[in-house]
Parts: sequence; structure tokens; C-alpha cells
Amino acid sequence: MKQFILSLALALRKSKRYRAVKEYVWELLNGTGNPYKKYLDTFIIFLIVTSVFILVYEVTNPVPAWLDYYDFYFVSFVFFVEYILRLWVHNDLSKYIVEEYHDAQFLHREFELWPVLKHGFKEKLNYMITPAAIVDLLAIFPAYRPLRVLRIFVLFRVLKLLRYTKSINQFVEVITNKRFELLTLLFLLFFIVTTAGIAIYVLEERINPNITSLFDALYWSLVTITTVGYGDISPVTDAGRTISMLVIIAGIAMISFATSVIVSAFSERLSELKESRIIEQINKSRSFLIICGYGQMTKMFFRQKKEKIDDYIILDTDIKRVEQARKDGYKAVQEDASRFETLKKFNVEHAHITILCLTASDVENIYITLNAKSISRKIRVIARVNDINIVSKFEYAGADHLLMPNQVVNTMIRTAITQPTMYKAIHAILTGKSVARIDEVHVHEKHSMVGKSVAELNFRSNKLLFIGIEREGKFLFNPPSSEVIQSYDILLLMGRQISLEYFRGRHEGSL
Amino acid sequence: MSERSILLFGYGNHGKFIAKGLNEDGFRLKIVESNHDYYLQAKEDGFMDVEHLDVTNDSLLEVLNPQYFEQLVCVMEDEHLNVFLTLSLRSLFKESYILAISDSLHTTKKLKMAGADKVIDLYEVSANKIYNILKRPVSTKILEGIVMDKDGITFREMLIPEGSFLQDMMTDDVDFAPYGILLIGMIDEELGHTFVFITTGINHKLDAGDTLVCIGPKEKLDAFEEEIKKEKSIP
Repeated sequence: MKQFILSLALALRKSKRYRAVKEYVWELLNGTGNPYKKYLDTFIIFLIVTSVFILVYEVTNPVPAWLDYYDFYFVSFVFFVEYILRLWVHNDLSKYIVEEYHDAQFLHREFELWPVLKHGFKEKLNYMITPAAIVDLLAIFPAYRPLRVLRIFVLFRVLKLLRYTKSINQFVEVITNKRFELLTLLFLLFFIVTTAGIAIYVLEERINPNITSLFDALYWSLVTITTVGYGDISPVTDAGRTISMLVIIAGIAMISFATSVIVSAFSERLSELKESRIIEQINKSRSFLIICGYGQMTKMFFRQKKEKIDDYIILDTDIKRVEQARKDGYKAVQEDASRFETLKKFNVEHAHITILCLTASDVENIYITLNAKSISRKIRVIARVNDINIVSKFEYAGADHLLMPNQVVNTMIRTAITQPTMYKAIHAILTGKSVARIDEVHVHEKHSMVGKSVAELNFRSNKLLFIGIEREGKFLFNPPSSEVIQSYDILLLMGRQISLEYFRGRHEGSL
Repeated sequence: MSERSILLFGYGNHGKFIAKGLNEDGFRLKIVESNHDYYLQAKEDGFMDVEHLDVTNDSLLEVLNPQYFEQLVCVMEDEHLNVFLTLSLRSLFKESYILAISDSLHTTKKLKMAGADKVIDLYEVSANKIYNILKRPVSTKILEGIVMDKDGITFREMLIPEGSFLQDMMTDDVDFAPYGILLIGMIDEELGHTFVFITTGINHKLDAGDTLVCIGPKEKLDAFEEEIKKEKSIP
């Protein structure tokens, strides 16, 4: 038996496929990045809503048998499978077994299966007693028709919905942070309710016809202290009324205390909650910008109101600058982009991310570049370099594009002094004025221009200036008119926006 | 090239580079710096005509005789000082051409108000470049190579001399292909002193005194510059 389990664990551990499947399921159930997750979530929510609806409808109306079957078998089955999967992906038994086996071999110690399994199962059990897991488990039990009391289990199906509402989780988290204060309050409440309950019971049990038991007295006490005051039980003696006055005052004090605790807990966490919302939201888009640093450069970048940029987030370590950015109407978060955890929060795997390192410090920018590249090579990094001497360091760090404001401006000044006419031209080209846009046309196989020569395309008639071709990383400047366009060439053209668009549109289609 | 002279205020990060470049291009240069360390740096780098003085003092500025310089370039490290200097220079010397550097939008506005003829914004071009990288990465890279003069392909402006064969030709009729260069745009003196891109689609008549801006490999540009001096060959 031991041998069998061990070899099974070893086989599972070795199987790449098993691990991939497990990871996929985990991602589907718990992750954020899986593109199919939203369909699964919608499906489960649909099941919950229909099942609850059937039960509520059934209270007064007869329902067809197939609906009952749907509710009883199908929904329960799906929930059961979900529960088992969640339990399965919670931890990795085979990993523990294999690790223990290797350790045992290493130390020449007898391999013991039982302690490892115990450890593994204990972890699973720990998961099973978390509130979410309990709700999942109870939601499997169907609203078993003959036993009316079992119908209450349908409430757990409603509770299952909580998994899909982020705000409840955050609320619970905030409340648990104030555990100590709230527990103190609860204890105090318990103490006052019991004391007042006992007092009223002793004083009025014989006199007041409504109070017949200690339970009645405690019930009255709680109803009074919470200022609910149904009025079904009320004190009739002066002593009883005095007690109720004291209870009412204590109640008001306690409610205001509880309110203030919860409010302060929320206001403490409010900015954090807001920030995590911003991050969550940005993670939903397929491609977005992370802009590090809200300085001159970033402001300038946003001022270029040519095309509106929606999918971006600004990170800055300085709270003052973050506040400034928010005041200016941008989505900003106070985070340190050079920290691994910060960038890890973003959907690195599934989204196309471009990071702009625009802080004023080169060290910071290099660090962010390295950080981003260490998380995923897929992240595109555009970094600002202030000191021209350390360009090579940025290249080593893996930055995809470099911005050198100092160098650019130095060249510009030099040009402005030596060749003022050209300055205007270069400036217009660099700032992308509409008459002088330099744009690129990426040729793919289906483009009608593939196989045509430069002369045939006749750029001049389109009022375009053909500057060159980038082919396999090399740039051919002003190729002869006999040059034939190939697939995957990138053509560099200059001209007015409309000319470029017209040209693109005309050659987009297939032959 | 006749000797052109520049009065450069500031020898900080930008001043240093500009001074070096202008020196290479054969300009006569006078450097003024108020920071002692930068002043010493300029001396060390081999510039002869360097002065260390307080630029907030008007009488000292007047002694410099800025009116004898073609352009005044203000690139002081301290932006407040830079604005103040621009203002002083403008109030003292109405005629001078003042070029200033700015490192923020607010400063750009202030410098313009202070009377600078041209303000170059440190971040404007770079901020634009981000857009360009995001939208068209390849052309941005190539363009940068051209502007920075990395791959031997560069921009050049040239004046059409009197009696050139280009005279009286229309831009559409000139075939630039044999010269291996491209015409980007020009200043047509007939239409006023503004730069016109060739891609606007207007056919211009070339006259002597017009300036052409071309792009191409250095040697080809040199050859073309020689070429346009030739007179029209009579067929």
C-alpha cells in the first residue's frame, strides 16, 4: 500500500500535464488572469440564482418535476464538483510525499508515509473549516423537499454568491482588523444584556404578564439596548422602568461606539481599498501602461492630447505627487514600482504591459527596469535616461526603448543655433505635426503591395514621401525604384495624416 | 562659413554639450557662468573665452556687449536664474536673438513672457516620443538614428545659390532619385519665411535664396550641395 501510494505520488509529481492541469484549475477557480474565469463565474452565479428562485417560487406555487430534478441533481452536482476541485487544488499531497521520500533517502531514514499524509490532510482540513469552504459544502446539500427544515440550506447557496462580491470580502477584512475593539464591545453588550435581563426577570416575573421566563427577560433586554424596542414586552414597575432607562442610555453609547470603530476602520483602509480597486480595474484590460513617477515628463506626456489614453496607471512613491496626480484627474496609486510585490499585482501573464520609467532618478529607473524584466520578459519597458554615460547599463538591464530628454534637447539646441530651418523641420517631425507625420506601414502577406516595386506603388501621387524600408532589422534608406516590397517589410513614409490613412486603406485588402 | 558668434550662459549639463558641439561646428563662443565649479570645468575643458560673473547684475551684463553676438543662449542650471537672465537680457538688449531652455511647462510660458525668441522644452519632445514609441516603434527608432546622426543618414539644409540649375524648376519636376537623397521640405521665400513640407502636396517654384531641407547619407548630401551650385546645362 505504502509502495503504491509512493509510486503514484512520484508519477504525479513527474507528470507535467498533471501539474499543468492542476495549475489551470487553480487559476480558473482562484486566480484572476484566466480569460475563461468570467464564464465559469457567470455560470455558477446563474445556477445559484435559479436554484434560489425555484425554492422561493415553490413556497406558494407547484413547480414542474424537471425543475426539481435540475435543482436537486444538476446544481448540487456542479457544486459538489466545484467543492472537490477546490479541495484538490488547495495543496499538493504528492509534493509532500515526494519531498519526504527524498529527505528520507538522503538521511538513510525509513520512509514514513503516515506523518506526511497527516500533515497534508490537516492542511486540507484547515481549508475545509474556513467559512468559505463551509458555505461551499453546505450549499451542495439540496433543498431536500420532504424535510422542510433542510430548505434553509438554500441560504448557503445565497451565501456562495459572496465569493463573487469583492466588497464583502473587503468589509470582512476591515472588520477582522478591528477584532479586538469589536470583541470588547460584544463582551460588554453580553454583560449588560444579561445583567439587565436578570434584573427585570427578578423584579417583574410575577407582576408582568409578558415575562414568563428568563429567555423573555433577555429578549426584552436585547431589544431595548439595541434601541429596536418592539414594545411587545415592556416593564410595568418603577424599578423595571429605571432599569430600562439605564439600558437605553447604555445602548446609545454602545451603538455610537460600534459605529465609530467601524467607520474609523474603514477610513484607515479607504485609500488602500481605492488603490486595489484601481489596480483590479486596470488588470481587466488586455494592454495597459504603467507609468512610474509623476514628474514633469509624465505631465508633459499627458498634455499631448492627440489620442486619449485610457488604460494606464501612475505609480509614485511620494504621496504628495500621487495626490497631485489625482487632483489633476489621473489614476494614480502610491506604490513603489521597484518592489517585486508591486509589479506582481498586475496581470503580467495575460496582459500586454508597457512600463514607462519616468522618474527623475536614473538609479530608480534602472531598478524598475530590472524589476519588470525579472518578473516577465514580455513586459515592454520604456525608460528615461538622464545621464548619457549610463545608457549601456539600461541596455543591459533590458530596457526596450530609451528616452534621453537631455540628449534630445541638446541636439535640438545645437540644431536650432546652427541650422534654424532644419530645426523647424525636425521639431515638426518629432512632435508629429499633422503635415509631417512619419509613420510606418507593416506589410503582411495579404497586403496587395507585396511583390510590387517602389515605382509601381507611386508614393508621390499619394502625396507621400517614401523614406525607406526596414527589412529584417536593417534599414534601407531611399531604395531604388526597382526595389520590390516583400512580406513583413516595414515601410517608412512621411506625409499628412489623411494621405497615410488613405494609402493604408487602399493597400490593406488582399489581391 | 563666416564666423558666427554665440554667447552661452551656463556651462552645466546642457551648456557643456552645446559648447562642445558649437565649438566643433566652428562657432566663436563666449561662455558666461555664475557657478564657480562650472566655470572651472569650462576652463579645464579648454575654452578660452570664459567669464565668471554674477548674471543678476545688469552692469556686468552690459560689459559683455551681447549686441555683438548673433545669438544669446540661456542654459543655466537653475531655472529661476535662467528666467531672470532672459528677462534682464531682453530688457537690456532689445535686438538680440535669445534662445532658452526650459524644463517644465510653466517655465516655458515664463521664458516666453520674459522675451525669449525661442524656447526649447526639455520634455516636450521626449513626451512625444513615448507616444511615437507606443504607436510606431520602428519609425521612431530609425528617425532617432537620423536625428542623432547615428547611421550616417542625416538632415541637411542648403541654400539654392544664384544661377543654380534648380532655379525656376518646380519641386514636382526635380528628380532627386539620381542623387540618392530625399527632399523633405523647403523655405520658399516667395511665400514668406515659413517652412513648408513637401508632403503638403503643393508644387513650389524653386528660386535662388530658397532653402531646401534634405535627408540622406552624408556623402550624397555633400555631392548634391556641390551639384546645385552648377549652372543649368543648356541642352
